[in-house]
Amino acid sequence: MLIGIATITFLLVNAMPGDPVRIMLGPGTDQATIDAVQSRYGLDQPLYERYFNYMAGVAQGDLGNSIHYNGVPVTEKILERLPVTLLLVASSFTLAISMAVPLGAIAARRQNKATDHVSRIIALIGVSTPSFWIGLMLIIVFAYQLNVFPSSGLIMPWAHPSDVPQAANRIEVLGSSLYHLVLPTITLGTLQTAAIMRIQRSSMLEVLNRDYITLAQAYGVSSRTVLRKHALRNAQLPVVTIIGIQLTTALGGAVLTETVFSINGMGTLIITAVESQDYPLIMGVTLFFGVIFVVGVLITDLLYAYLDPRITYGGGDH
Amino acid sequence: MTQDPLLSVQNVTTQFVTEEGIVRAVDDLSFDVHRGETLGLVGESGAGKSVAIRSIMRLISSPGEIVSGTITYKGHVILDRSQGPDGEVRDGEAMLSEAEMRSKIRGREIALIFQDPMESLNPVFTIGSQLREFIEINRDLSNAEAKAEAIELLREVGIPEAESRYHEYPHQFSGGMRQRVLIAMALACKPDLIIADEPTTALDVTVEGQILDLIEQLKTEYETSFIWVTHDMGVVAEICDRVNVMYLGELIEQAPVDELFHETKHPYTEALLRSIPKPHETTGEFDPIRGIMPDGMNAPSGCRFHPRCPDAREVCMSVHPDLREIDDGQNAACLKYDVFDADYDDSPPLVVDENGERVPAETVESVGGDD
Repeated sequence: MLIGIATITFLLVNAMPGDPVRIMLGPGTDQATIDAVQSRYGLDQPLYERYFNYMAGVAQGDLGNSIHYNGVPVTEKILERLPVTLLLVASSFTLAISMAVPLGAIAARRQNKATDHVSRIIALIGVSTPSFWIGLMLIIVFAYQLNVFPSSGLIMPWAHPSDVPQAANRIEVLGSSLYHLVLPTITLGTLQTAAIMRIQRSSMLEVLNRDYITLAQAYGVSSRTVLRKHALRNAQLPVVTIIGIQLTTALGGAVLTETVFSINGMGTLIITAVESQDYPLIMGVTLFFGVIFVVGVLITDLLYAYLDPRITYGGGDH
Repeated sequence: MTQDPLLSVQNVTTQFVTEEGIVRAVDDLSFDVHRGETLGLVGESGAGKSVAIRSIMRLISSPGEIVSGTITYKGHVILDRSQGPDGEVRDGEAMLSEAEMRSKIRGREIALIFQDPMESLNPVFTIGSQLREFIEINRDLSNAEAKAEAIELLREVGIPEAESRYHEYPHQFSGGMRQRVLIAMALACKPDLIIADEPTTALDVTVEGQILDLIEQLKTEYETSFIWVTHDMGVVAEICDRVNVMYLGELIEQAPVDELFHETKHPYTEALLRSIPKPHETTGEFDPIRGIMPDGMNAPSGCRFHPRCPDAREVCMSVHPDLREIDDGQNAACLKYDVFDADYDDSPPLVVDENGERVPAETVESVGGDD
């Protein structure tokens, strides 16, 4: 699959009109300089040759050098930006899962009651509102009007205190980091929360109608235990699937969120790459998103086996 | 049978509110269960049997609601509910709370066995942990004691290598073995009443025989009473002492098992008995009940069975028969008996229309004239 992604990206990127070298050097550069730079990045070779060189490099973990960033290796650039995006995605997923799972379960428990209706409406609004709009609204209200949260930037929790303004020690760095994370997390997390909550509710509803739930109640198990122990784990399979799929949507959402909040992550990196038509960088970031997706699916599958004893990997006759 | 009944169900009505209207799944149901007896609850699919037994355990959840009736069990008031003229339901003061139902009745006094043993066991927990949980909840045993008890119960219901199978999951058990596990669960707290909802329907015949034998053996051992819900008249003949026959949410015949088979009172019961396939009959001779049971939303007027009843007369379309004593210990709800005094004998019989339903003779003639 990753080979497919690499090939398709390679072809699409090269089908783009325009020339990254001309964009980088600006108008009015003479042809000799352009030719020299093109040959430095191998752009003067025929397409198939570049393709095989590129694939050979990918196989060895070399994603080429960025044109826009003056020959810095793409992998280096990705690894520099990756922690920021991972932090953002992780915090938005933490928010989403910790909100959506209990809310969805409660909505299912109180089916067709006020709690259920309210949460369903919120979920519907959540999945249908674009995240950049939510981001802009949050900035207007909380950053400009109320002035409680910063509107841009992100500080890594493990940053050195001397690199962080108004932070004397590691605790303050952590606080500042959380402070900066709030709005982007809500922006990116809203869609995930709503999507997971909807699945959680419907999956829970299905499970609550099963005979083993009635049976547990018939043996005097309290409705709380029935919900938390007997129903929840059975209801989690579809939810885990959707969380796996949401990981890709979150990466897409991160592109918009990072742009809105001026965060230097993978999202802004790919935007920069596309704007400057930096072929190796576009391909590298896309391929990396592909890798994250595959890892997400793998984790999902492994979680299946953990949640459902009927699923085993690696054979066995049971 | 002169002593007080173990369980007494009086005038229980349970309804479901749906988008199309209100369905009375159980309508004015009354019956008793005595100590040590096995009561059969018989009827076609959709007759309201499952709703009836869930009502006894107060396990009806929205959109269903028990709207009226009283249920007493060994002096506990499981249900005491009445519906005022404003439609508001009121509970009597002596009625057990939800918490008391959990701590006193469910599992401890009345246990439940369901039809589909795969669906009844939670697929993500081991057999042992499920059994142990129910034992821990209902008996004051420590974790280790409950485990030992669970293994002992598994052995008692005939599960080989109980210690190792304790740690297995439901999907690793066969259908018959799963049903044995459910019986072990039911026995876990030595209840006085076990309600079995078609417990052998999903099993093949040889396994069904084994399970029935096991139940017989446990009945003599523990003197447990049973409510046995089924649509299988063969099983009824084998294990029941008395039988209640349900049709569209109502009881239409109550009789001891021998009388039910040999002196059948209600035409529906007769039809049910005739519909049992017999080995010497060919498919041509096989006599199923004509028509399908109407849904509860559009319950027929008068006697609810009249559109399918071979004995139906015009009076059956307008008069709704209640359950009355026809013979000693045998009750039926059919207007053809004198106790109803409904001028049945003078009423013209209904004829079968092109849909296989019974209607007054003149309507069929006029329909025929239009063609």
